[in-house]
Amino acid sequence: MTIDKRRYSKLLAKVAEDLDIPPSKYRDAVERYQAVGRWLEAGEYPCAGTPDIYPQGSFRLGTVVRPIRHGVESDYDIDLVCQLPIPRHLTDAGSVKLMVGQRINEHDVYRQMRDKEGKRCWTLQYAEKDGIGFHLDILPAVPKKQSLSATAISITNKDGNTYRWSTSDPKGYAYWFDQKNRRAFDQVQWEQKQLIQSRAAGVYASVEDVPDQLVRTPLQRTIQIFKRHRDSKFNGSQRTKHAPISIIITTLTAQLYSGELDVFSALSAIVSKLHAFASLVDSDFVHGTSQTSNLISRTPDGKWYIGNPVNPEENFADRWHEDNHARARSFFWWVASVKKDLVDIVGSGSADMARSQLIATLGASVVANHIGLIVPAPATPSQPPRVTISRPARPWGPNARHGG
Amino acid sequence: MHDMAAEITELLAIHQGLNTHEEPNSEIVISGNLAFEAVPEDLPRIADTFEIEVRVPTAYSAILPEIRETGGKIHSEYEHVFPNGTLCLGVPIELRRIFSRQPSLLGFMNGLVIPYFYGYCYWNEHGEHPFGEQKHGGEGIIEYYTNRLNLREEVQAVAFICFLYEYGYRGHHNCPCGSGQRVRHCHGPILLDLHKHHTPHTLTHDLSCALDHLFEKFKDNELSLPDPLLKQIGRIAKGKNRRRARRRRF
Repeated sequence: MTIDKRRYSKLLAKVAEDLDIPPSKYRDAVERYQAVGRWLEAGEYPCAGTPDIYPQGSFRLGTVVRPIRHGVESDYDIDLVCQLPIPRHLTDAGSVKLMVGQRINEHDVYRQMRDKEGKRCWTLQYAEKDGIGFHLDILPAVPKKQSLSATAISITNKDGNTYRWSTSDPKGYAYWFDQKNRRAFDQVQWEQKQLIQSRAAGVYASVEDVPDQLVRTPLQRTIQIFKRHRDSKFNGSQRTKHAPISIIITTLTAQLYSGELDVFSALSAIVSKLHAFASLVDSDFVHGTSQTSNLISRTPDGKWYIGNPVNPEENFADRWHEDNHARARSFFWWVASVKKDLVDIVGSGSADMARSQLIATLGASVVANHIGLIVPAPATPSQPPRVTISRPARPWGPNARHGG
Repeated sequence: MHDMAAEITELLAIHQGLNTHEEPNSEIVISGNLAFEAVPEDLPRIADTFEIEVRVPTAYSAILPEIRETGGKIHSEYEHVFPNGTLCLGVPIELRRIFSRQPSLLGFMNGLVIPYFYGYCYWNEHGEHPFGEQKHGGEGIIEYYTNRLNLREEVQAVAFICFLYEYGYRGHHNCPCGSGQRVRHCHGPILLDLHKHHTPHTLTHDLSCALDHLFEKFKDNELSLPDPLLKQIGRIAKGKNRRRARRRRF
């Protein structure tokens, strides 16, 4: 029995949906971060104007995956940029970080929810009544002028007791991602918004009220599946610290996405394109189309380069050469695993094998809910045959002497 | 002759949880889930599912299939399972008799396997066998003949088995029960029915089981055998007159 692609694709989409933040949870999260945003905005800072508070990362891109920590499903991560309208030359990284920290401390509740200071952010821990909480990471920043991008920011980086600036451009990246996603988004948004509204009529009164941020294209679903596969493949293993980082997975997937309208087609096409780069580990040259062949490249000194699409100076793979290319090897090992675990099972294995493989790589709880799409329930006809018993045999048995 | 493909098609159409494949030795194996709703006379209906593996020998239907329960559902203390894991559905001659009502794989499943599982479920629930149970080994074989032919002693049962083995059915012979009457006026009809359903395989089986059992008792001086029977056993053991009339049809 082979697995039907259409149904398998539906299963992947459903699994991704379960990994995603549910609409009601999304609304809670938005309310929480807007409240934090208002509090931060109302603070007194040595500047004119109010801070700009906006989400970044997977929450903004619509690629949230409920993380697994130590083998258990855990809280969602939400990243929030708190951009103070202070020109960078009038302040320094440490002051910006502490200004925001100070403002958080002024709030009785936030002060208690605050974690110890992070490298680049302040973290608030929300423990929710339903047990599914989230971490709100607040990233202090100031605008970066004299930059190619109008949206680039300077963020703070704590190293020991010293703070340094580094560059980021979450808004620019999000715009870039939206463009990659645009065509598919236009095609799926109406149908999805209708579905979301009908399921959560208490949350959204009409289809128009459903925010764009809840619509998911096959590109976003593919990224979610990739991230979950990465999490379970690297969870707790020796390789954890070399696991592919989300920004690399997201960037490459978006670059290689060519508008497929179902998850399996998107995922399998992207995996085979990524697979073509694997030979870079042993050489520094790869055949590919001119458009994509430079997505992952080697520099003459043997280092690796995966550029930030909105800031080519930023190299996401700047640590890939370390430890004898451990991160590069991990990345291509992971790509090969995705191919084996999620692509090759179509048309090759039995439904039972597919079930155990999917459970092992995407998690039992999310897969179990939807496995019926590809694996028929243990074959019991809905109506078992009715058999009349008349003058049956009596059960016999082995001769006791023979050890029965 | 049986048409294997047609029998399999018929079986799988009714029992949809089953699959078949052929082993390299061309034995057919049927496996999967056997779901049923069984309705015996005067007993509660039971619906259940068992995971099974049935091996259909190349000599089928002269030799009936063997069946194992592979889902681990049958308790180890349930006695009606052979040491090799196959289920003791009943004594061989009775299996053939019941199989002859509907001589196909579907008939095997519905007439023998499902009643066995019904019996197991009932036993599991109530601690007793709904249709009774046969004693084990040779004792069970002798018990079967004793009950079936309504005999008083084990020795008589052995005499009937020897008679069937040596002559098949002979209406004009003296009845093996020792009544002094002709077979046809005594145990004739039942003897004829047994004769019709026996195969060389089942008859040899019953004889050797019964003699083994008898021999144990004989050795322990618990039993004495009448001279004519002893002589007959001697003849059979030497292979004389072996199944002389076996293939004669009536």
